[in-house]
Formats: sequence, C-alpha cells, structure tokens
Amino acid sequence: MLEGIFVDGLIFSIMVIGVLISYRILDFADLTCDGSFATGAAVATMAIVNGTGLATALLLASGAGAIAGVITATIHNRLKVPGLLAGILTMTMLYSINIRILGGRANVPLLRIETLYTRFPKIFSMLSNPWALLVGTLIIVLIVKELIDVFFRTDLGIAIGALGSNEQMIISMGIDPKLLKVIGMALSNGLIALSGGLLAQYQGFADANLGQGMVVQGLAAIMIGEFLFDSNKISLITLRVIFGAIIYKALMFLGRYYGYYINLTPSDLKLLTGILVIISLIVAQTRNAASSADARKKALRRNKERREALDKEAGHVEN
Amino acid sequence: MLKIEQISKVFYPGTVNEKTAIEYIDLTVKDGDFITVVGSNGSGKSTLFNLISGTYPVTGGKITLNGKDVTNTPEYKRAFTIGRIFQDPTKGTAAKMSIEDNMVTALHKGMKGLKITLNASKRGYFKEELKQLSMGLEDRLKDNVGLLSGGQRQALTLLMTVLSRPQMLLLDEHTAALDPRNAQIVMDLTTQFIERYKLTSLMVTHNMQHAIDFGNRLIMMDEGRIILDLTAEEKKSLTVQKLVEMFKSIKNQEYASDEDLLTT
Repeated sequence: MLEGIFVDGLIFSIMVIGVLISYRILDFADLTCDGSFATGAAVATMAIVNGTGLATALLLASGAGAIAGVITATIHNRLKVPGLLAGILTMTMLYSINIRILGGRANVPLLRIETLYTRFPKIFSMLSNPWALLVGTLIIVLIVKELIDVFFRTDLGIAIGALGSNEQMIISMGIDPKLLKVIGMALSNGLIALSGGLLAQYQGFADANLGQGMVVQGLAAIMIGEFLFDSNKISLITLRVIFGAIIYKALMFLGRYYGYYINLTPSDLKLLTGILVIISLIVAQTRNAASSADARKKALRRNKERREALDKEAGHVEN
Repeated sequence: MLKIEQISKVFYPGTVNEKTAIEYIDLTVKDGDFITVVGSNGSGKSTLFNLISGTYPVTGGKITLNGKDVTNTPEYKRAFTIGRIFQDPTKGTAAKMSIEDNMVTALHKGMKGLKITLNASKRGYFKEELKQLSMGLEDRLKDNVGLLSGGQRQALTLLMTVLSRPQMLLLDEHTAALDPRNAQIVMDLTTQFIERYKLTSLMVTHNMQHAIDFGNRLIMMDEGRIILDLTAEEKKSLTVQKLVEMFKSIKNQEYASDEDLLTT
C-alpha cells in the first residue's frame, strides 16, 4: 500500500517536472497539460494495444505531447495571444483528439497485455511485486531527472531559464525568444505525456478525462516542494519537485482513506488541492513580505548611516 | 556604421492618443563615434533608441546598419551588432539565475546549442573579467543576480554586454537609477570598455556635465527632432550654462516664429 503511494507519486513527479518547466522555468502559464497528459496516456495505450514495443510506446507518447506543446507555443507566438489562452485552446482541442486516438471511446483498458508494470516484477524477480514496481518506476524517474538536470546545464537550457527570468536579456543576446519557447514547451509537454503514458500502464487503462485538474495538482506539488528547501541549482529543484509530488500524493491518500472521519469524500479532493495551493501562495507571500520588509529596514538604516557620515564630513569641512 | 534616414514614429495612430514621438530624423553615426544625447522628458530619446534597436517598428523611414538595410529586421537579429543597456538595472540580467549562468548566456550572441560550456576554465575567465569591476563579484559566481545591488547589477550588465562583443553600444540613461558613487563607477567602466573595444556608442543622459565631458559629438532632442548637433570641436568650450542657454534660445526662436505665424 505504502509502495503504491510512492509509485503513484513518482509517476506524477515526471508530470510535475513538466509543469515546473512551463510555469517556473519558462514563466509560461500553460494549461495544455490537462490535455497532453491524457494524450500521452491514450497514445501509449493504443500503441501497446496495437503491439508496438513498450519503449516505442513511451517515445510516441512523449512525441505526441511535445507536438501539443509546440502547437500551444506557436499559437502564442504567431497570434500574440497570452499563453493562458493558447494553452486552453490546445487543451480543448486535445479532448476531441484524445477520443479519436482512443478509437472513438473515452476509456480503453490494458487488460491481459504486457505493460511496463507487468514486466517490472519479471525483471526484478528477487523483489516482491509492489517493491518491483517501485524500483522500476524509481529508475525511470531518476533517468528522466538526470537528463533534465543535464539539459538545464547546457547553454540551451540556461538560455531557456534566462528567458523565463528576463525575456529582454535573451533578445539582447541575439536569440529568438519564440524559438526558445517552442523548445521549452515541447520539452514540458513531452514529459507530461510521458507521465500520462506511464500512469495508463500502471493503472491499466487510458481515459480521456485523465488530465483533468492536472495543472493545479502539479502546482500544488511544486509549492510543497518549495517549502522543503531553497536552491537555484537545477538538480536540487528537480529533486524537491519529486519530493513535493510524493508528499502531495501521500496527502491525497490520507484524504481519501481517512477523510471519512471528518466527512470528506473523494470528490472533495479537488477542493483540498485548490486550498492547498492557496495556502501555499499565502505562506510564500507573507514570507516574501517579511523578507522585503526586513530588507527595507536595513536599507533605511544604511541610508541613515551614510547620511550621518556625510554630515560629519561636511561638518569637518566647515570647521 | 549607422545611418538613419527620415525615420518617424507615430504611436496610436488614428486615435485620440495619437502622438508623434519621432519626426523625420536624419542621423549618421560613424565608426568609433561616441555621441551623447540630451533632451527633456518626452523629447523622443528613448523612442529613438527603441527604433534603432528594433523594439518598435518605424512608422516611416530607413535604418541602415553597416551598410545593410535593417528597417524590418527583428530586434534579436540587430542585437548581434547592437548592445543595449537600459536605465532599469533589472533589464539586462536574469534575476533568478546565478552570475555564472548569466555570463555564459552572454558570452556569445545567437542561438545556443546542447553543449555544456560552463567549466573550470570558463569560471576562471569570468572571475578575471569580474575583477575589473572591483565589486567583489568574482567571489559570488554562484549567487543569484537578484541578490546584487542596482549598481552591481548594472556593472554586471555592462560587462556582459561587452563580453558578447557588439560593435555598437546604446546606453539609455544607464547610470540614472544608481546612487552617485555607483553611477561614477559604472560611468568609468563604460568609458574604459568603449575605448578598449573601440565601441561606437550613443549615450542618453540627463546629466549635462556628462553630456559635455564624454564623447566626440553631442545632440539635443526636442519634441521628436534633433535641434542641436555639436562636434567635438564645438563641445570643447561648452559649459552646462551655455548648453542650457542654447536650448532656451532655440525654443524662443520657435515660439517667436509661432507668434509670427499667428500675427501675420
């Protein structure tokens, strides 16, 4: 049972890294996520059902997600509409496309077909079934994390980070910000779809509604992670995202299994997630306000000292 | 180097807010020129810079850079030749990234590849370059730029701009937001870099003394036009007072001719 939370959280964490790239690194409020997550699940499921290899299925899923990201970025770039609207457009269109991919059905099961999660117990046959799933998922997540860490240390990755922090700087350095946005969004949604592809195999079905509310859940996980520790190093940022994702899933598990003591039903979990994000925002804001008030006080004190020093000097000159 | 022919810029054309910010300006900047630009608020100095660097499209006219027509070239492409520094120290650097990450982005103009080029030798080079700012930044390579003071950020922006080796520098009141001590440091660095790398420069300033002391040419703008253009020779004997008087007399002439129009 406990292993289940970790597997769930680890699969989810790949999606959260995708959300991290769009929201935190690129500063692009992207809602494509809700659609591309289900796209990943749908593409992976249909590929597996049609007999492609498992690795190919996951690659196809990420590719489909990446295309969704490129479409959002292109709508934003070409039509000069806010990223939010571009994301909503793609997400809405994806809902229809996902059902098409699933062959006109809203739900396709993966029963009696080999998936990653039926293969893990065979690969790690020395472990018990839940532990084999956990180890297999952990390996995939660590590979993804390492690749992302390396990517954001390359010149291209650093430039994408700089774009999110200051677009003018990127323009001044002779780089087309539109192209960087396309690359960043492709990466972000590729990861989100990969996560969807894994989840479909883990839970044994793909559903057109799988992506609903993913953005907010991802943001909640990112914010939980940000409470853990502060860093500007990409390896630590992705690490805290993974921790945040697992903690979020654990909280939701608690809500689901012990919530009935306080009359909580599973349908209340979305409300809880929203409240969690709002609380995180309030805490972060008070923290910011406190630290900037502190900085203001220090600046005033410094100013006063400087003025006194100047006055003293002036006094000497007069004397 | 840079040739501007009859450029104009109208904001919000066809609305009640219509404003002509630049009115048929001609300007030729020669290689190695260091031109100071003065003028009151709203005279079109910043708009002129925005048109040169390509932030806004021109309403009319032609801009030639190194013999190439760049009138419709996007800003990021012109940035290969033009380095620009803004009044706001936060505009030139990425606050959420470390000093070394900022510098590695600034090292070469243009699209980046999938290579990790930030290594020990690069860090050594960055430290050497940062030392000449004498602000102690060489020991803070891994600190986020957001932690630096305005003066430090502007000095870093200047260094980063120079590292990317532009041929031309547009300085848009780049010391105006700093305290006098830091403004002095940044200004000294600016002149050092301009001389060392032989940068063609245009500098907007509100400091009349700076406008007179620096550079080999001075232009004064008013209401979207260049109303005064002084050579190095003419600048030598110039004082702030004379400059202000010149401005007033030009303005008076205008008023006088306006009156003429009304009376005749």
